[in-house]
Amino acid sequence: MVINKKIKRTMMESKSQYLGSLMLIIISCLLYTMFNQLTTNMVNLTSSFEKNYVQEDASFIADKKLDNIEDLESRFNMIIEETRSIDYLVSEDKTLRIFSENTKVNIPAIIEGNKLIGSDILIDPAFAKANKLKIGDSINIYGKDLKIAGFMSLPNYIYPIKSESDILNDPNRFGIAVISKDDFNEINKGSSFYTLKFNGDKKDVDNRIAQFKDYLKSENIIILKWTNIDENPRVTYVTLKIDGINQISTYMPVFILLLTCILTGIVMWRMLKREFILIGTLYALGYKKREIVKHYLTYPLSIALAGGIIGTILGAFTLRPMLNFMVMYFNIPVDYVSFDLKYVVISLLLPIFFLGISGYFVVNRALKYSPVELMKGGKEKGKVSFIERKLKLDRLKFSTKFKVREQLRSIPRSVFLLLGVVFATMLLLLGFASKSSMDFLMKDAYEDTYKYQYQYIFNSLQHGAPSNGEVFSISPFTLKSDSKTGFYVYGISPNSKYILLKDKQGNWLSTDKVIITKPLADKLGVKPHDTIKVVNKLDSKEYSITVDYIAETYTGEYIYMPLVEFNDMLKYPSDSYIGLWSSDKLNISESSLLSITTIDDFKKALDSTMQPLKSSIGIMAFISFIIGLIVIYVVTSLIIEENRESISLLKILGYRRKEVYSLILNSSSFIVLIGYILGVPLLLVSLRAMFKSVTKSMNFAFPVTIEYGYVFIGFVVIYLTYELSKFLSRRKINRISMAEALKASRE
Amino acid sequence: MFIKVENLKKSYRTGDVKTDVLKGVKMSLGKGEIGVILGPSGSGKSTLLNIIGGIDRCDSGKVTVDDIEVTNLTDDQLTDYRRENIGFIFQFYNLIPNLTVGENIEVVSNISRSPLDTDEVLKAVGMLDKKYRFPRELSGGEQQRVSIARAVVKNPKLLLCDEPTGALDFSTSREILKLLQQINRDFGTTILMITHNTAISAMANRVYRMRSGEIVEEIINERIIHAERIEW
Ligand SMILES: Nc1ncnc2c1ncn2[C@@H]1O[C@H](COP(=O)(O)OP(=O)(O)O)[C@@H](O)[C@H]1O
Ligand SMILES: [Mg+2]
Repeated sequence: MVINKKIKRTMMESKSQYLGSLMLIIISCLLYTMFNQLTTNMVNLTSSFEKNYVQEDASFIADKKLDNIEDLESRFNMIIEETRSIDYLVSEDKTLRIFSENTKVNIPAIIEGNKLIGSDILIDPAFAKANKLKIGDSINIYGKDLKIAGFMSLPNYIYPIKSESDILNDPNRFGIAVISKDDFNEINKGSSFYTLKFNGDKKDVDNRIAQFKDYLKSENIIILKWTNIDENPRVTYVTLKIDGINQISTYMPVFILLLTCILTGIVMWRMLKREFILIGTLYALGYKKREIVKHYLTYPLSIALAGGIIGTILGAFTLRPMLNFMVMYFNIPVDYVSFDLKYVVISLLLPIFFLGISGYFVVNRALKYSPVELMKGGKEKGKVSFIERKLKLDRLKFSTKFKVREQLRSIPRSVFLLLGVVFATMLLLLGFASKSSMDFLMKDAYEDTYKYQYQYIFNSLQHGAPSNGEVFSISPFTLKSDSKTGFYVYGISPNSKYILLKDKQGNWLSTDKVIITKPLADKLGVKPHDTIKVVNKLDSKEYSITVDYIAETYTGEYIYMPLVEFNDMLKYPSDSYIGLWSSDKLNISESSLLSITTIDDFKKALDSTMQPLKSSIGIMAFISFIIGLIVIYVVTSLIIEENRESISLLKILGYRRKEVYSLILNSSSFIVLIGYILGVPLLLVSLRAMFKSVTKSMNFAFPVTIEYGYVFIGFVVIYLTYELSKFLSRRKINRISMAEALKASRE
Repeated sequence: MFIKVENLKKSYRTGDVKTDVLKGVKMSLGKGEIGVILGPSGSGKSTLLNIIGGIDRCDSGKVTVDDIEVTNLTDDQLTDYRRENIGFIFQFYNLIPNLTVGENIEVVSNISRSPLDTDEVLKAVGMLDKKYRFPRELSGGEQQRVSIARAVVKNPKLLLCDEPTGALDFSTSREILKLLQQINRDFGTTILMITHNTAISAMANRVYRMRSGEIVEEIINERIIHAERIEW
């Protein structure tokens, strides 16, 4: 069609609007491709890693050595392997957890370098990078020089955190390593645990585990610790992370596409209005409706296609760096990177689908007019909207009236601006809110609740009174009614110095009562004086616990009860305990310990992990800045477009340059403000919803908050974005000549 | 003389073609008078009026209005000159479509030093009852009344009208002309008006005939008639 020749010209005339749409689509497809390809790859890589390197079904620590392993393997149709491990202190605050090399379960995957041949060591790449260790370097372990043979990943340490209760890993302070069984024997230190994997059908793993536990009990073997793979945070965090990304990866691009739809809808409607006469003429000349629709749909579709292609390609380019970024946290071998064709196709079609529909809707609306109406320029001209009519602005200042009228002139435009600002605000504050919440959580946990510096857990039950520290015990339980809901019960001293709990009103709770933490109470729906039926995971027996109080804290799904009661319930000797809390370092032989945790370790880990969070806050802030800039700039340019004649007239009437800027450019101020004000609570609400679903399987509630300081910083950023786009738009206003109003001949 | 134009020249260049639009225009108009510029379309009337009003610039020559040398002013000074001295009325009214009648008047009173009362002015042009209407709800004649109200609300020294009745029918046109004459009498506002309707020149003190960029005749009209009696 000859008229198609004008498409390019028309687009060039309203460059910024079409470019804005294009950029939004690019961002949307980029994010869509990046996130979806990333998560598919992560899922594929982890699952093939777990399969090929035989991830355990469970691991446990027993108080005695199992010496009939082959017998057990055939009896329970499983493979079982003993792994030895030791936490080697490289320096004061740097721990390398060394494992003996497994050959049956949790086999180390070599990422780079070679297998062990003896007198050498495999370490995890993040630790190596953080500590500037290269393959071929030597590390001295207990006086023995071990050469780094290569870098490896372990299927049970995908997310290498030191303690299971850690949330963040810190390769600067913690790493994992593998040495041969022989070398381990030579060192002759540390403790051991067992890892097992069932052969055959996985459906009744729970049952088989219960049977196995029963057997151990019958053999008088006490299980000190039992962890199923689906409760092991070193593995489950990956799934959580992928779930989290998946949520973002669907909502964010779709929302941006919706914004784009509104925008192209507005731009097209404006163009159609200008071309009503042309359309009417084309009709009169015998063009069919279908041909005209086709012509006008070329605009949104060509943008959608171009944006889709560019965005998808850019997104594909980000996949590799993003994967590299992810494996800094999740230690998995990246053997191959694949592109899921499904997501490539969706990424290309999604914008076409969205913009096609909104474009068709708009064009169809225009074509409802008869050719005669169109040739007269549409019949809408005389209509005054209900709001315009009803609004009484008499008491306002003139400039305020002008701005209000300007926003009412095009409701879709204002809606677009509002949604755009809300979205940019949410994106901008997302990072800040995460950081605030994390800070809050840490403060709640490590300043207000847990007052100890050191936590020692022994590898066997202890008896009598310790020389130092405060005794406690801990044991894992599940709900009787739901074996998937697990939590820990602590036995602690009455009047504990190290666990400080408050109720909702802020009153101290004395620890001679049974106290449940709020996250757990919420999860189980427990009120004070309720009794819950539980099953101990170590002995699989049933118990009932009556709760006295609920403690207002966010970390930990725990029940605290007096140690005496705890021992009594589990039929442990009345003076027994498994761990010590202390504010100072205690002199305890490492061979009797299962783990040492210090709060300082944790805080330091937190500080260094805040670093990447900061950079991702930065990246998100940047994306939101770009989106905000596009939205505000495009709206401003729309306002200027629609007001060309008014601007020209204002100039003629003697308005000074600054006065024109102020009337026209500031007319969106309060929409921007409202958008920001709405964005903050909306973000908190949606973050809460998101964390609720993500942390369901974690042992803490995420208290979503945002500090006022960040709200303020966010406002400054949005405000500066607004100022910048206003500044950029000034030239457009300056370019409008006074002749424009003079030339315009309106009916 | 209130307006004095001397040897005013202006040409446009489109591609290689140079068109002389004003070829040395000379004219003058006294304070409180009504001047009417007649001439065929394309003869340069609007260009002349725009230069006097400070919305266009000349190539050479001199324009003074009330002792202000308009041709010497910078852009910013021109803005202030228009703001303080000039009221404009256009053929196509040029009202701001999304503002009510009252608000359209305020566009000007908002930046005037001592504006007249909006309601008074609206009453004077007979539009007070339509204060809350939008331009698109008004007839052409009504819109032109609003545009006149907007021009006079700041009580300008000079009212420039470019074919104010060009888009109106006879009787509406006469109402508009009556209104302009009344403003001229009540406020002593000097009015310079473009028209290609010769009949209108009967209400002017001075009549200028333009042809291809030159004023070929300047007539002083001794027998001014009331706009009421103009017929065509
Ligand atoms: N911006 C411009 N560029 C080129 N030519 C112009 C421009 N404005 C006016 N002209 C030309 O100047 C001449 C006079 O225009 P104008 O003053 O509007 O005439 P009138 O008002 O008498 O009809 C016309 O030939 C017109 O084409
Ligand atoms: Mg003209």
